[in-house]
Amino acid sequence: MSETAAILAFVALGVLLVTWIGIRGGSKASSTLEGWVLNSRLMGPVLVWFLLGTEIYTSFTFLGLAGFAYARGGGVFYNVATNDVAYAFGFFVLPAVWLIGRRFGYLTQADFIAGRYGSQGLGILVAAASAVILIPYIDLNIQGLGAILKVVSGGALNLRLAELIAFVVLAVAVYAGGIRGNAWQAVIKDVLMFVAIATLFVVVPLHFFGGFGAMMDKLGSAAAAHVVIPGHGSKVGVPWFISTVLLTGFGQWMWPQWFAVGFTAKGPRTLKLQAVFMPLYQVVKVAVILIGFAAVLIFAGQKVPGNEVVMRLAERSFPGWFLAIFVLAAVLSAIVPAGSIIVTSCTLIAHNVVAKLRPATSERAVFVLTRWLAFPVTLAALLLAIAAPALIVVILLVAYDFIAQLLPAVVIGGLFWRRATLPGVVAGILVGWGLSAYWLLTKHGPVLSLNSGLVALLANIAVFVVVSLATRPPEEKVVAPVMAAVWGSGRGT
Amino acid sequence: MRASLVAWAVGLVVLTLLYVAGTPLWFNAAAPPILGLPPIVFWFVLLPAVSPVLIGLVYLVDRSAGGIGTGEGEQ
Repeated sequence: MSETAAILAFVALGVLLVTWIGIRGGSKASSTLEGWVLNSRLMGPVLVWFLLGTEIYTSFTFLGLAGFAYARGGGVFYNVATNDVAYAFGFFVLPAVWLIGRRFGYLTQADFIAGRYGSQGLGILVAAASAVILIPYIDLNIQGLGAILKVVSGGALNLRLAELIAFVVLAVAVYAGGIRGNAWQAVIKDVLMFVAIATLFVVVPLHFFGGFGAMMDKLGSAAAAHVVIPGHGSKVGVPWFISTVLLTGFGQWMWPQWFAVGFTAKGPRTLKLQAVFMPLYQVVKVAVILIGFAAVLIFAGQKVPGNEVVMRLAERSFPGWFLAIFVLAAVLSAIVPAGSIIVTSCTLIAHNVVAKLRPATSERAVFVLTRWLAFPVTLAALLLAIAAPALIVVILLVAYDFIAQLLPAVVIGGLFWRRATLPGVVAGILVGWGLSAYWLLTKHGPVLSLNSGLVALLANIAVFVVVSLATRPPEEKVVAPVMAAVWGSGRGT
Repeated sequence: MRASLVAWAVGLVVLTLLYVAGTPLWFNAAAPPILGLPPIVFWFVLLPAVSPVLIGLVYLVDRSAGGIGTGEGEQ
């Protein structure tokens, strides 16, 4: 057996083992919809830490971040800042969301929005838009998997078949194990990812530069223009960095799969502890970014696709047995995070769209539909990845900007401002989405040197406030119970 | 509740400013090295270590002030 075949066989066995762990770990907890989607709001600090870790630190962290650092330079640091700002923001926001979710039995972000503004129509709109945006995110992980397998197999493997098998296995694990099973898979994936990145971070400086100090000296001299913001040859500058950190940091929890983590926790304390300890995970990102910078010097004069930088360095640095572990960690970083996205997509479609359009559907039928949707949703993502890769790129380009436009509805109106109204929210979201789509689809790029998504969000907030003040105040019987869940009776501004 | 809310807001603003103002104002450079690291690398190694301390302080204030949801759901 060749070394490549042995590595692929090891990875296949590892994926099957992790799938079994996911099924075993979550099947008991997944006998109801709330159990399947939220582990019945029973997850403690450790499991939530690993679940959040696996959802936030994906194959993009493993491969894409090094690629960004390699290709575009110091602007990549926005990605470190984003998460830390988001964790601090979540210290209050997620416990508040948890309190409202438990009070009203919410499963999804769309439930939250529909409940706060007394509009099932708005809930359906948000759920449908979110579900569409999430499918390309599954594709992003499929593409990450393809990039890993392409390098490891030297192009000899049938990538489509490998992706199909990997994601069918994932769908089975999601169907049987739900979110709790995914959290147990996350523990394995996160530990392996730490080991893999830490080892690469030690080996690359020794192997290519003779030591860590020598690598830093070279980065500070030979790659000096590359490691700072905006980075060598990059169009984005300091205003872009600042506006992107603000947009993505404050917008992070608007992603429905991350927002839902606010519902899975055992209580507010669990979520507050995440804000304290999740930044420790950032060491992985910093290490990957430095590896990406080092690649600029290592691959000087060569043109290497950004997404392949980490795998190529691993191939050149590790003996076969450790390369197998490294590849398994990389493959799991592509597969496992997609699990929670699939859970969220299925719930949005079945619980927030189908069940609301057909109110006669029984709770049991919604649960059965939600679980079975794991297969068509996964298949749709695979087909989209094969048939329309260009469409994926377009949707991903607008995804963060679109999702961040929910911030006024969820945080400002949802937690603080009682006067926010349904027309205000709808007008604000439509303005935000419209501007984002226009600027991004016309390839406008930064607006006044700022991230266009943030400019759209500021316009959204302005419209949201003006229209809310200009329209009839919301009914007290709708708003008061929501605010009371967070602030006690009579609070909120 | 008010004390915990103020602590959270201060912690959030300070951390955000350290990233969005501290980086371009003081550390957006590759030399001279700080503790052997290019200044921008030093800064982005330091801040993820500072963040747990800062938000940990917010957590302690929140706990002693009976912040949002204190004691709920953790039995």
